[in-house]
Amino acid sequence: MTDVTAASTETQPPAPWPDDASLAAASHGGPMIELRGVSKEFLGDRSSTTTTHALDNISLTVNEHEFITVIGPSGCGKTTLLRIVAGLIPYDSGQVLVKGKPVTGPGPDRAVVFQSFALLPWATVLENVAFGLETRGIPRAEREEQARVLIKTVGLAGFESRLPRHLSGGMQQRVGLARALAVNPDILLMDEPFGAIDEQTRRIMQEELLRIWGYRRKTVLFVTHSMEEAVLLADRVILMSPRPGRVHEIIDVPLPRPRGRETERTREFTDIKELLWDKLRVMQTV
Amino acid sequence: MAAAAPQPTASAAPFDPAPAPRRPRRSLARRLPVEGLSLLAGSLLWEIAGRTMDLPWLPPLSMILADLVTLLGQESVRANILASLQALVIGFAISLVFGLVVGALMGRFLSVEAALDIYVNALLVAPTIILIPVFFAIFGLGDGTRLSVVVVYAVFVIIINTMTAIKTVDPAMVEMARAFGASEAFIIRKVMIPASMPLVMAGVRLGLGRAVKGMITGEMLVTFVGLGALAARFGSQFDMSKVFAVSLIVLILAAVTNWVAQLVDDRLTRWAD
Ligand SMILES: Nc1ncnc2c1ncn2[C@@H]1O[C@H](COP(=O)(O)OP(=O)(O)O)[C@@H](O)[C@H]1O
Ligand SMILES: [Mg+2]
Repeated sequence: MTDVTAASTETQPPAPWPDDASLAAASHGGPMIELRGVSKEFLGDRSSTTTTHALDNISLTVNEHEFITVIGPSGCGKTTLLRIVAGLIPYDSGQVLVKGKPVTGPGPDRAVVFQSFALLPWATVLENVAFGLETRGIPRAEREEQARVLIKTVGLAGFESRLPRHLSGGMQQRVGLARALAVNPDILLMDEPFGAIDEQTRRIMQEELLRIWGYRRKTVLFVTHSMEEAVLLADRVILMSPRPGRVHEIIDVPLPRPRGRETERTREFTDIKELLWDKLRVMQTV
Repeated sequence: MAAAAPQPTASAAPFDPAPAPRRPRRSLARRLPVEGLSLLAGSLLWEIAGRTMDLPWLPPLSMILADLVTLLGQESVRANILASLQALVIGFAISLVFGLVVGALMGRFLSVEAALDIYVNALLVAPTIILIPVFFAIFGLGDGTRLSVVVVYAVFVIIINTMTAIKTVDPAMVEMARAFGASEAFIIRKVMIPASMPLVMAGVRLGLGRAVKGMITGEMLVTFVGLGALAARFGSQFDMSKVFAVSLIVLILAAVTNWVAQLVDDRLTRWAD
């Protein structure tokens, strides 16, 4: 494991921060994701007849380049919301639009980062990162070249031929992130991506994500159950309430960017976090 | 997204060490001393017991080995070995194709599973030997009977393992592939098949062992060709040393086929050690 430290001690100039003008120039103008009155019920299987009202009349607009975090008690439908936007499951009523078009299934404009990493255990880091490009029929040489760039971006250079089980959880999620970025989506959908990672590594991953997001301003929909994470990352925090899953409140996070650990020490950060906690604790059933 | 965005290198991770790669599976060379010693001790014990006890059913090992050499020298014996091997290879090939296809269909489609599950499970545990007269009635003394016996011995464990393998593919993996826009065919080729490989190969190896049993059983009980027939003939002559010699040939055959299967398995599922 000699190469771990080589990658980690490297210092580099801060990523250039895109100014609003250049972002506006690259922008298509309209909202990126729109949900209008979306509801979703899960029917019970054969053994149980109960239906779960997972989402009830969700309306939500995510603008281009926005970083949105979603927080709420367990079971309030965060994952369901994400899977609907990803086009992985159908919804019962309402409308889901991505770049103005109704979602009918997964699409190249969206990529998902999974809490369980969902890496192919038989495939190397390189093959895993190239997987999304492979599904799109990109020839091997080309997709591996692109994958190598992203592997470098997430700090895994030198690990290209490792199998996932030879990587720590944090490194595995770096692979998951690189795989999502490799298809160059407009939208990143992240479902508690750092939820299965230990606290120290998670903090590093948050900073990494902010760093990468700093120069590749994807639109991000990020589910979390950590209040610090929700506030640190977001432009806006969507607070959801359970049974049925509803948008309880949307909280603006007007903290300046780029953000880092020092952001967490500011008064403004703490205030927003406390506000969030006040609202969360009333719906928390222990 | 600015295409020409610079790619800063990562500020990776002082707290994020990778675990060391796992130690490779204990190599044959390291196991060998114990296995060799055990084999040597067993052989010695057999030899001594055979010489001292003078039991008709326990000839000394040296005698068995001498008979083994004699038998291998005989043209007719070698022809019988070849006949057995042929039945094994063809019968196992049929089991493999049939087992993988039926197992995959049962794993993929609930209706197929519901329809066939009870038969497959019944035939897996039923003493297959009961069916031999049926095959005899259908195929007579021909190769059909020998092959059928091999197939009924081998096929069900392959079916069941393949079905289980397909059914237990991690749904998160399939969902991931779908999220990246993979087609159904792509998911089968690039996710389902590799993910099922360890269990499928375990079934194949179990099936191979059972195929050897089926081969000998069929030959001993009905068709009177091959190694099974040799064993039956020497048995009826109460020539126990030759019976054991034939058993040794079968053992070696089983060991070699198992070794080949292991090699294939290792190649296909190295990642899952
Ligand atoms: N595939 C499913 N079938 C049935 N019920 C489901 C399914 N997925 C989620 N649910 C139910 O829907 C509700 C919301 O689930 P989920 O979106 O996973 O919540 P969260 O991610 O916020 O914890 C829960 O009550 C859960 O049990
Ligand atoms: Mg969830």
